[in-house]
Amino acid sequence: MKTNDRVAAVGVGYSRTGRRLGLSSWELAVQAAKAAMDDAGMTPKDMDGVTVLWGVAGPAPAGLDVVEPMDFGYSLGINPLNWYAAPSPAPAYVAAALEAIAAIRAGFAHTVLTLRIINQRLSSRQEIASMAESGPTEATGEAQFTAPFGSVSPIFSIASLPAQRHMERFGTTEEQFGAHVVAQRYHASMNDDALFRDPLTIDDYLASRYIAKPVRLLDCDYPVDSASAIIFTTGDRARDWRKKPVWVESAALSSTRYLSFELIEDMNQNSPFHAAEQLWSRTDLTPDDVDCAQLYDGFTIITFQWLEALGFCGLGEAGPFVEEGNTRLGGKLPVNTDGGACNVGRRHGANFCIESVRQLRGECGERQVPDAEVAVWANATGPFSGAVLMTGD
Amino acid sequence: MPTQLKAGDTPPVPVPTDVTRFFWEGVARHELLILRCQSCGHYVHHPRIVCSRCQSTDLAPEQVSGRGTLYSHTVVMQAFHPYFVDKLPYVLAVVELEEEPGLRLTTNIVDCPEDELRIGMPVEVAFTEVAPGLTLPLFRRAA
Repeated sequence: MKTNDRVAAVGVGYSRTGRRLGLSSWELAVQAAKAAMDDAGMTPKDMDGVTVLWGVAGPAPAGLDVVEPMDFGYSLGINPLNWYAAPSPAPAYVAAALEAIAAIRAGFAHTVLTLRIINQRLSSRQEIASMAESGPTEATGEAQFTAPFGSVSPIFSIASLPAQRHMERFGTTEEQFGAHVVAQRYHASMNDDALFRDPLTIDDYLASRYIAKPVRLLDCDYPVDSASAIIFTTGDRARDWRKKPVWVESAALSSTRYLSFELIEDMNQNSPFHAAEQLWSRTDLTPDDVDCAQLYDGFTIITFQWLEALGFCGLGEAGPFVEEGNTRLGGKLPVNTDGGACNVGRRHGANFCIESVRQLRGECGERQVPDAEVAVWANATGPFSGAVLMTGD
Repeated sequence: MPTQLKAGDTPPVPVPTDVTRFFWEGVARHELLILRCQSCGHYVHHPRIVCSRCQSTDLAPEQVSGRGTLYSHTVVMQAFHPYFVDKLPYVLAVVELEEEPGLRLTTNIVDCPEDELRIGMPVEVAFTEVAPGLTLPLFRRAA
């Protein structure tokens, strides 16, 4: 069977993004797909695959018009489809990207549109109010062992418990978490697409309220309605489009346990470490070659875990590494140069692929990392994760 | 459970399956039961029908001591479910049981001042009826 040695990202784009836009999942997906096609100078006739991660947006719980990849491909005019997938549950956008990359490498498809569509959920107060008159809630599946104890927000299990252990085990401080939050807001101040652009100080961070200690509001990404799209294609076709291709140098997907974040084998050293090991084993490049890193920031501790997992610093050393300024633009390893999901809004990792592509094309203006040739982006944490290493043309 | 209970009167109520029912029936009797591989001795939690260490399907619930150490904890300051609105702050925790390294469960630590919580501190099970008809294996600091 004929396969393809190289895969490139050739088009990226976002839908309108913001709070309660009133746009359906489909409207957001069409906007993002058109933006990515426009970026590439491509039409649906040039594509033969669609992958989607969790295709729902629009204010929950109403308006969840799921974007199913076969339907979306047909409706947009990508016909016939040679590849379609909607991985779930899955570690954020990287799962949709890896479905596309794997299919192209394997020769099943030549050009795949990948999508992440996401809704802004009801706030916790709205959810609580909506339950006032209903009967007891049920804890099913894995949640029967967690939700009865009040593990009812992913913040607690994905962020607070690992962050607390990181602090007690390695001496990480709240000021070090704050240094990351301040640094990526600084990057956001140079990004026209960012929703938060006003500079923050460490005092602003320390004044922000706790959600579940040690995690504060400013450690959490910002819920929005948005869709993100990235188009991948074969090496043979990569130069046929409007922009310079950005190459997939290596990629890895990992799962080390089912969705019990509380029970992963080591809260500070789990699936991202496995993904990183696989990522580096598939390339001759090393962490020293990386010019910028775009690391999931659903919560600050996740970015810290990826810094350690990818080998940019040692296990337990992310706090000092960040506090010393290494992750700021101008530092040794600029991290989350678009401002991260805390500032551009929650895109479940797709923004980190898009920012990598833009940095490696040299399109980032004031926040451009000089001469960026190698970028790594990574999604998710705990029991499941994935990472992709990309190079410029 | 009486049908007039509202969502705010009880934490989310565990819905057992055929594989997990022994755990909740044990808790109701104030016994902490963990599924154990009868072939290699590995404890399997959350329950599964196969042992991930030796692939035996000969698994049976065994009572454990209820003693362990604190693996991590968080003081929850915002409620995401109506039951917890007037329970704030509460301590969500992961406890490692003494029977096997890595054998952990999710719980709450009760009766311990927040600033005295330390990873590694000894804890013991404290079965507690938290709502009508719902007993949970909570943990408290052990002597």
